[in-house]
Amino acid sequence: MDIDPSKILVRYNVAKEKAQSPEELAAEMFPTAEPARSICAAIFDGEEDDVIEGLEKAIEGGADPIALIDDVLMVGMKITTDLYDQGVIFLPNVMMSADAMLEGIEFCKEQGGSSPKPKGKVVCHVAEGDVHDIGKTIVAALLRAAGYEVVDLGRDVPVDEVIAAVKKESPMMLTGTALMTTTMYAFKEVNDRLLESGIKIPFQCGGGAVNQDFVTQYELGVYGEEAADAPKMADAIVAGKGLAQLKETFHKH
Amino acid sequence: MVKRYTSMAYKAADDMIFGKSVYPVKAELGLEVGAGYVTAEVNYAPRPEAGVSKEKLVSEYRRLTTDIMARAVQVGFPAISLETEHVEQMTNNPSWGAEVAHVQKTIMEEYHEEYGIKCGLRHTPGDIREDRDLLALIGKKYDTLMESFEQVADSGADFLSIETMGGKEILDYAILRNDIPGLVYAIGCLGSIDMTMIWEDIRKIADKKGRVAAGDTDCSQANTAMFIAGGLLDKNLAHTIAIIARAISAPRTLAGYEAGAQGPGKDCGYENTIVKSITGCPIAQEGKTSTCAHSDVMGNLVMQCCDLWSNESVEYHAEFGGTSVQCWSESLNYDAAMLNVATETGNAKMLRDILVLSDKYRDPQGYVLAYDNAYKVGQAIVKDGDDLYLRAKNAAVSCVDILNSADSKKLVMSKFEINALNNAKAALDAMTDEADTFMSDSVEKYKAEVAVFRPDANYKF
Repeated sequence: MDIDPSKILVRYNVAKEKAQSPEELAAEMFPTAEPARSICAAIFDGEEDDVIEGLEKAIEGGADPIALIDDVLMVGMKITTDLYDQGVIFLPNVMMSADAMLEGIEFCKEQGGSSPKPKGKVVCHVAEGDVHDIGKTIVAALLRAAGYEVVDLGRDVPVDEVIAAVKKESPMMLTGTALMTTTMYAFKEVNDRLLESGIKIPFQCGGGAVNQDFVTQYELGVYGEEAADAPKMADAIVAGKGLAQLKETFHKH
Repeated sequence: MVKRYTSMAYKAADDMIFGKSVYPVKAELGLEVGAGYVTAEVNYAPRPEAGVSKEKLVSEYRRLTTDIMARAVQVGFPAISLETEHVEQMTNNPSWGAEVAHVQKTIMEEYHEEYGIKCGLRHTPGDIREDRDLLALIGKKYDTLMESFEQVADSGADFLSIETMGGKEILDYAILRNDIPGLVYAIGCLGSIDMTMIWEDIRKIADKKGRVAAGDTDCSQANTAMFIAGGLLDKNLAHTIAIIARAISAPRTLAGYEAGAQGPGKDCGYENTIVKSITGCPIAQEGKTSTCAHSDVMGNLVMQCCDLWSNESVEYHAEFGGTSVQCWSESLNYDAAMLNVATETGNAKMLRDILVLSDKYRDPQGYVLAYDNAYKVGQAIVKDGDDLYLRAKNAAVSCVDILNSADSKKLVMSKFEINALNNAKAALDAMTDEADTFMSDSVEKYKAEVAVFRPDANYKF
């Protein structure tokens, strides 16, 4: 028994696919001048060694290492994240690009002897009792790729430790991920303890079992359906959006 | 030394069917799994607030168990199986899990005695073998885990299961980088080493207590890949990579059977059709009736060879039709009834093939897991069944070959999926055939790249 499946299902992903390849689309977005073009291409390809080689050439040519971070590395990374947002490339491409970019940033910092100013600081954690941290790892990588400083508290983080970190670091946003319903209950406690301390920062929550209904039960909670929402939320905060506006933008149901 | 599978349990793929396995298993209260009929397996999670104390948790499980049993009797279903996947508090405090098992089994006994309903109870302690920042597969937490198995077995759990984490520290790194050798190493090698250790011990407990060492799943790795891959328009992972991870998960899950598991395999093990083709042991599966927990692209197909039909997990709460566990258990039971009617009327293979064909071309994942192709992956695994590395690599190669030889007018893949598939093939072609070389190269590579990798402490290298 076999069928012609065309009347049974639709491969919408094939139908929606762009005519141009991701490489062709990226090439159109790279800067024209060298070595910026080669560095951006190396970031897109996730080739760490080529990124460093390009940076060395740029510095030999007189470029300021710290300025290269914003002027070239972040530009290259944005090409990757923009294509990801457009659905042209996949998450592993972003992760590999982020690895290459972060290595480039470290190199520039070593060469320049100073650090660039990040767009803002975000504290990330996985709920107490929960050891599943791949979601948090993705969130942290995407935030770093977007130019934010990330304080990664790791997984299975006790509520006390989350509160202490927020007090110490004064972040613009806190993120929490959880895979299990019983562990995500810790988010409510984090919310209450932050409010008790008079801290009203957006608390972005997401992960396997977490849903919008649960997150809206506590004041600071903003539901992130996708990991890629995290840098968008951070950008919105930088642009002056408050808690209510974040909820309006990111709550979809 | 465990005996590895080097041959298939079934002579042909077409011999595989739902409700029937070569080696059925029995529960205490009349239920037989794989003995010619399919049974619903209801799975549930307590509400978040119930986890704050032992009393609240036990009360939650008492209520939901009664709800499920009552609904099964009200609608007239002949059999039911329940699966309690522990929340971490229940495994870390073995007496908590034990009390829940005791309460559940007592309720099931009452229903069995009064109505004759056949019942099975699976308990799945959580894999708690982790420190705050690192996997700690061997040590004190392992002892606590084994104590949890002892206590739930003592308290009435018929089927003992777990979803082990061995290899996950490398998988989490590799899957986000399209690293195919990393998938083979994480799932096929490290995962199988851990599975072999833990299942030998679970089997000993099961034998001692007169229970069934049921089975494991590569949930922590292959399901992570499937979950990240998502639906057709998601761009987090190519579905061709997700199915390669799934194919590699079959020899890992198989390692549990080699160390003493007898089935029913765990519901979320989408690799179970491959495993059943090799072992002949019964399996639980989940698909269209587990959308309460997650979405997948093979909701009908995966029912093809199931012996228990599960809903994965649903939080206990109220719905219009009753409590959530009542609603989902009723749906599961109607599914099981349909399958059993097909068997009774001699139409089982026709229904199986209808289920398969409704999803076979939906996605590369369903295509490879269709029983005819799953059987081919099984054959590739047993070809080098004695070599944990080679059989994992074979599974991946077989998966790639199956996709590459598919009718491109029926299985239509996107350019991204084909590109990822081509890259995976190139990576597989470049891999050695020498297990020792692969293992020593990999340990050095991932020690350098993955900070939390502790090969000596976790895998006794």
